[in-house]
Amino acid sequence: MTSDQPPPTPPTAGESRLAFNEDWLATILGLALLALVLLGAIPAGLVP
Amino acid sequence: MATDATRTGDEPRTGDESTTGDPAASTTVARDDLFWAWTLLGLVVVVGLAALTRYLEQNVPDWADGTAVEDIGAAVEYPVYAILLGLLGNVAVTLLGWRGRIAAAFRTEFFIKTGLVLLGASINLAVIASAAGPAIAQAILLISGVFLFTWWLAGRLGLDDKLRALLASAVSICGVSAAIAAAGAVRARREQLAYTASLVIVFALPSIFVLPWLADVFGLSDAVAGAWIGGNIDTTAAVTAAGALAGEEALQIASIVKVTQNALMGVVAVALTAYFTLRVERRPGAARPGLGELWARFPKFVLGFVAASVIATWYLDATGADGKAAIAIVNDLRVWFLILAFVSIGLEVRVSSLREAGWRPVAVFASATVFNLALALGLASLLFRNFSA
Repeated sequence: MTSDQPPPTPPTAGESRLAFNEDWLATILGLALLALVLLGAIPAGLVP
Repeated sequence: MATDATRTGDEPRTGDESTTGDPAASTTVARDDLFWAWTLLGLVVVVGLAALTRYLEQNVPDWADGTAVEDIGAAVEYPVYAILLGLLGNVAVTLLGWRGRIAAAFRTEFFIKTGLVLLGASINLAVIASAAGPAIAQAILLISGVFLFTWWLAGRLGLDDKLRALLASAVSICGVSAAIAAAGAVRARREQLAYTASLVIVFALPSIFVLPWLADVFGLSDAVAGAWIGGNIDTTAAVTAAGALAGEEALQIASIVKVTQNALMGVVAVALTAYFTLRVERRPGAARPGLGELWARFPKFVLGFVAASVIATWYLDATGADGKAAIAIVNDLRVWFLILAFVSIGLEVRVSSLREAGWRPVAVFASATVFNLALALGLASLLFRNFSA
């Protein structure tokens, strides 16, 4: 820690929301990819 | 997703940037006109290293075939390549002065959560149903025991209550995610979150390799090894890496156990919010957190993990053997996301923040990790001894 360090600040409520939005994004992307594979839109050759 | 002038709490690596003297890192605090260009470059680095990992994983066994290193070439799996390449990339981008600028692309949590949702598709719902009971029992006992031990030890060493809460949550539940949730709950300072997250990653890295090896030395069954790995390693990405090294069944059980711990993170975060609001800070007029808060802090990707298992189980029942080819493609996609996460782990490591934290948090974390190791081994051996899906 150096003396020119800015005063400590607590995380804001918005930060927590952002972290949890990432959860929804991961869920939607994962399920969307699963759906695309099961529907045949992503064939075996497309994933190296 | 992450960076503006105030930075986000889920970017622990940035919290200490102003204290490290790292010129590259110190340039990242403000989001300037080139922010997206640098982030795109970061994504190119992450995806490029992931592609190299995939290339090595697929070709090294052939290259080593018939040579003196044939066995090693066949045994080394993608988590090893991904983490090593991530660490090499870390050194390279640090030397180039890029590291801080491109760090917004190192989305370990996002990559691992997407990978875990896809992993759900390869786990039959019956396995989740069979493992849920012991996994919940282990998670409750382990989280309670390790949290209280860490809280007590950190108190004995005179650490601040907020740092105690962060360290205890990180060791007992699920590493960086839990530290972020706890930081929000107790209103911890950013630098406390930064070095807690650094501790998680620095301790997780060797455990990825040591635990599968120890599980082999101890002669643990796949289920017990998976439950031990899932209950012991803090960060979800590292659990998945260690599980992948230990084998497919171990990976499945480790993931179920870790996802169960993730699901309980909301409960701990709400309890911490209540404790700090009503007991530690005694804010006047503060309301007790309710069910809404519990839902807000619930890791939603757990729902995706279970939904993927339900969909894939139904799909395989409906299509029979023909459906397995489709699930194999989903598994390939899963491996890609896991590789992206493991590369990001290597890129994220910052040993410098441990020096700034001082010896006491490191001593607490190390002791709690050893305690976790022993308690998780005992519980996994007891609860998963006769496990069968």
